[in-house]
Amino acid sequence: MNNHIVRTYGEELDQLSAEVMLMGGLAEAQVADAVEAVARRDVALAQSVIERDRKLDELERDVERKCIRLIALRQPMAADLRKTVAAMKIATSLERTGDLAKNIAKRSLVIAEAEPMSPLTRSIERMGKLVSSRLRDVLDAYKSGKLDMAMAVWSSDTEVDEHYNALFRELLTYMMGDPRTISACTHILFMAKNLERIGDHATNMAEHIHYEITGEDYVDDRPKMSTL
Amino acid sequence: MAAQPRKRIFLPLVLGLLVLIALALMSPGAQWLVWVAVGILAVSLLVTYSELQRHKNTVVPDVVPVPERVRVQPEGPSFQEVLRAIPDPVMIVSGIEPNDIAGRWIVFANTAAVEAFGIAKEGGLLVSSLRYPEVLEAVDEALFGNIERDTVFETSGAQDKFWRAWTSPLPVTEGGLRRLALLVIRDETDIRRIERMRADFLANASHELRTPLASLTGFIETLRGHAKDDLKARDKFLNIMASQADRMGRLIQDLLSLSRIEMNEHVPPSGEADISLCARDVMDSLSILAQEKGVSLSLSGPPPGQYFLTADRDQVLQVVQNLSDNALKYAPAGSTIDIEIFNDCTLEEAFGARDPAAAKLVLLRPDQRGAWYTVVRVTDRGPGIRREFLPRLAERFYRVEGQKSGDRLGTGLGLAIVKHIINRHRGALGVESVAKPSALADKDLLPYGGLDVAPTGPVETYTSFTACFPQPGRYKESPTVGFVNAR
Repeated sequence: MNNHIVRTYGEELDQLSAEVMLMGGLAEAQVADAVEAVARRDVALAQSVIERDRKLDELERDVERKCIRLIALRQPMAADLRKTVAAMKIATSLERTGDLAKNIAKRSLVIAEAEPMSPLTRSIERMGKLVSSRLRDVLDAYKSGKLDMAMAVWSSDTEVDEHYNALFRELLTYMMGDPRTISACTHILFMAKNLERIGDHATNMAEHIHYEITGEDYVDDRPKMSTL
Repeated sequence: MAAQPRKRIFLPLVLGLLVLIALALMSPGAQWLVWVAVGILAVSLLVTYSELQRHKNTVVPDVVPVPERVRVQPEGPSFQEVLRAIPDPVMIVSGIEPNDIAGRWIVFANTAAVEAFGIAKEGGLLVSSLRYPEVLEAVDEALFGNIERDTVFETSGAQDKFWRAWTSPLPVTEGGLRRLALLVIRDETDIRRIERMRADFLANASHELRTPLASLTGFIETLRGHAKDDLKARDKFLNIMASQADRMGRLIQDLLSLSRIEMNEHVPPSGEADISLCARDVMDSLSILAQEKGVSLSLSGPPPGQYFLTADRDQVLQVVQNLSDNALKYAPAGSTIDIEIFNDCTLEEAFGARDPAAAKLVLLRPDQRGAWYTVVRVTDRGPGIRREFLPRLAERFYRVEGQKSGDRLGTGLGLAIVKHIINRHRGALGVESVAKPSALADKDLLPYGGLDVAPTGPVETYTSFTACFPQPGRYKESPTVGFVNAR
């Protein structure tokens, strides 16, 4: 028996989406762990989130390489081409998600040194849970190729915005009340912004899934609240 | 088994030929010998033909029969069938190369695994069914490092679930291309829930009971000390003490019921409930209290006894009760509290904006959205809740800043209980409110109209909670007039 494996075209495509799923799982875990590090003031967990981000970067490069190889050697058409392009784009979004999670973890290290502000970190936790569920839904939609599931994620982004705005106001009152909290509050504000942007990435991924399945760009106006 | 009938087929022919040869040797040259030969040939052909027909009808097993050692008992099931019957998810994963991260395949999954993780019947890629990094890592270690271990992982959603996964390498024949690993997963949600609940309960109970307890001990000390002989003061103090003790009692009751509900949150309810009937019961029980406050209650919806939900009746009653209690607390005298019930609503209809200026938020959304929901909406004309407080509403013991709930102080658990009950029923909960603009000088900080729409004239404030319970199906065949959006 030899150890040489001959891959067919279909297997290569399957492998591509499998790797994107792997990235998705990792990105999900990164976001969940980063938020948990904030909530529990867990410095060790935050460190491990920061370290693990490298793996996500590596995977993204790998997916991109494979896509380019596939396009060059197999010249995919129609559905296969869309699948390849969508995989590449979703991989990029997931990598960005990982970066944002890493940023949250970094800021949590600073917050862990300040006085605990549990109402605020609880708000981050709640928002994190919401964003995580978006991410989970969009990855499930990608896995199963369900268009309506992806579109449900796409259209429910205002909720994340609503949470962001509420937290923004809460932070303002905090900072006005006690200027000593300004430094920590600013970090929390950035965390909230990062989470909000992870939510945006989830909707972007939903758009890529729409493109992969239907071949058309989703050009409808997204219901979006104006946020700062 | 298969070879034997074939031999038997030619037996009559051979016997016939032997008899013929014997006869020919005994009397050579006889004319009748030809007729005997023809007769024997005909008989043997007939027998052969019928034997062949019979043979055709017997089923010849085309697969290699399962060796007995794979079966539990000679007449019992195979080990695959036994694995399928195990209630915990069991999977066998194959892998070829360590660096081929996407090449892990599920080659066997039992029924529980198929149900819990949505695995296709014929198996499939491991990563598309289980994408939790901890599990994938453990599987890799079992496949290529021969390491046996267990990992804990969590699947989030409306109902959080905790799992423990055991991975261990499986023996393969020497020189085989594939490596195999066993993956056994157990649902540990119950255990983790009980652990967390105990910690939560202790923390909440001790924290929240401290305040009324402190005031009780304070009054007891006063009564023992200088207010010993002051009759008027004693009466007054005893009244306060009674109400504090009452509050403690209610708190304990709420905490206990919250714990109980949380414990069963991942178990869908069985039983039947009629929301209209529940709402009427709540109306009846609240009418005296409402009269005292000068608040009128109005109920609209389908008449009782027509539509039934798959739900826990007591819990549905508690949802309506808590929402109405809440409304009554904040409703000003002379106002009306509306309890409305709608059938055949989609979630979009239920949470659609009624007032563009209102702040609204979905506090709970189900993982799998159903098609049709029965909606209960309770609206009061109280002072309203400002946008920034909405996300924290269902948090336990959360109180909106600066809001007075009147003399009858709540426990701060009412909405948390509502949320957990609805989550158990896989429903949804939303809030919508118009409040007086905040005192905070937003205008300077937020120079655009994104957050608060500037009020024009006096605003009519209100708060309304919308609880949705999934329906088993659509009640009315004909399209309904639609959700009443006008207030």
